[in-house]
Amino acid sequence: MKDILKGSSFKVLVIAVVVLLGLIIYTASAGGSFIASLLGFVSTPMQGVAADVAGNVTEFLDLDGFSKDELKSLVDSLLEENSQLQNQLIDYAELQQENERLKTQLRISEADPQIEMRSASVIGRDPNDVFFGFSIGAGTLSGIHEGDPVITSQGLVGIVTEAYATTSKVKCLLSEDVTVAAVSIDKQESGVVGCTITMASSGLLRMSYLPGDTKVEPGDIITTSGVGGVYPPKLKIGRVESVEKSETDVSKYAVIRPFEELSTVKEVQVIVDFPGKGEDEAAGDPGQTVEGGEDAE
Amino acid sequence: MRDLNRIIRCLAYTLELLVLFMIQETPGLLPRIYGARPVLVLAAGLVIAMFELETPAMAFGIVAGLFCDFGFSGTLGFHALILAVLCFFISLLVRAYMQVNPVTAVLLGIVALGITFGAQWLFFYYFRHYSQPLFALTSHYLPKYLYTLLFVPLLYLVNKGLSEALPVQEK
Repeated sequence: MKDILKGSSFKVLVIAVVVLLGLIIYTASAGGSFIASLLGFVSTPMQGVAADVAGNVTEFLDLDGFSKDELKSLVDSLLEENSQLQNQLIDYAELQQENERLKTQLRISEADPQIEMRSASVIGRDPNDVFFGFSIGAGTLSGIHEGDPVITSQGLVGIVTEAYATTSKVKCLLSEDVTVAAVSIDKQESGVVGCTITMASSGLLRMSYLPGDTKVEPGDIITTSGVGGVYPPKLKIGRVESVEKSETDVSKYAVIRPFEELSTVKEVQVIVDFPGKGEDEAAGDPGQTVEGGEDAE
Repeated sequence: MRDLNRIIRCLAYTLELLVLFMIQETPGLLPRIYGARPVLVLAAGLVIAMFELETPAMAFGIVAGLFCDFGFSGTLGFHALILAVLCFFISLLVRAYMQVNPVTAVLLGIVALGITFGAQWLFFYYFRHYSQPLFALTSHYLPKYLYTLLFVPLLYLVNKGLSEALPVQEK
């Protein structure tokens, strides 16, 4: 044992341990680092190619895996859904025309939303992340920064928590670190969407702080409310599956099924700028709802 | 010639870790078992340590750990630190007390991966006050530990072949 402690290799180990402890403290305090950006430069192109190839192969195998009957029932259900959507589209077009007429009569001018977005592919999903976080192949060089919301055509997916030069880490809504100020567009009731490990395992979300006599019911659509200035308002989140009584107080919570399959998402859009971004944060109101914050830290 | 072998071996280890990192990170490439996917880089770092002297073993442990840290949204240096220490002592143990064979590789894997995933759960889950730590341990960390352990014999064979194809003279 003494020989080991006196050996030069043990001294090297001690030096390495000290250097790595310094690195831990530095990255914990300073966030993104040069080393991470450097590793990103090396790995991002290869990860991007690997993710594309794996995605194509999986897609091919998935389609190939359907039986004839399954494909037929899939086509039938899609045709039925298409028919329903076409009916809704007719209603929508009529409502849009009526809306335009009323706007003209009332002389209401709508501001251009001016949401600025960047496209990115999911290039990595780390097996160590129990909350289904992922990496995207775009970073600060593409104008992406920490705190930018991440969406797909189906709705909100998560938030950028670390941005390096060519890659960024995204915490998805299934993470316990991410909370979003949300609203039920049907009932206009507000709450906070978050998650727990058990719900994350089932791919579900939880909308907390609903009043005891809440009118929110299964089937209601939940969107972002825009409070806090972290997420733009009216981003789709999911549909209510059930309303349950809270374990700790008289409030209720809604179990939400996200519109997007958060654990397998492949292509995303990052909202780098939107009207009202960070406005509530800048105001520094201590009573505001914190959304997208990492409450565990 | 021996020095050339050493250089090629180092490059081969680095390439191996890079390829394994890409395999473990690529979405949908390795199937999920009970919701878990294996951390191949960890297993490879520990197995490489069995065929190397303490200092190179520690160095490859650091490289493997840095890959893990980079992939995981955690603190850069955490896995590198754990693997540096583990690989150093695995190398010493193998040289002083153990034979290099698949059984010892699995035994060392059981202990070393257990320590690594245990530390991961403790520092990145329990100490961060997330909900239901025991549920997380049994439903996420344990399946991941067992799934990763499955790859230890395979990685042992790969690295044994590599060390036999590129022998180096130990001091």
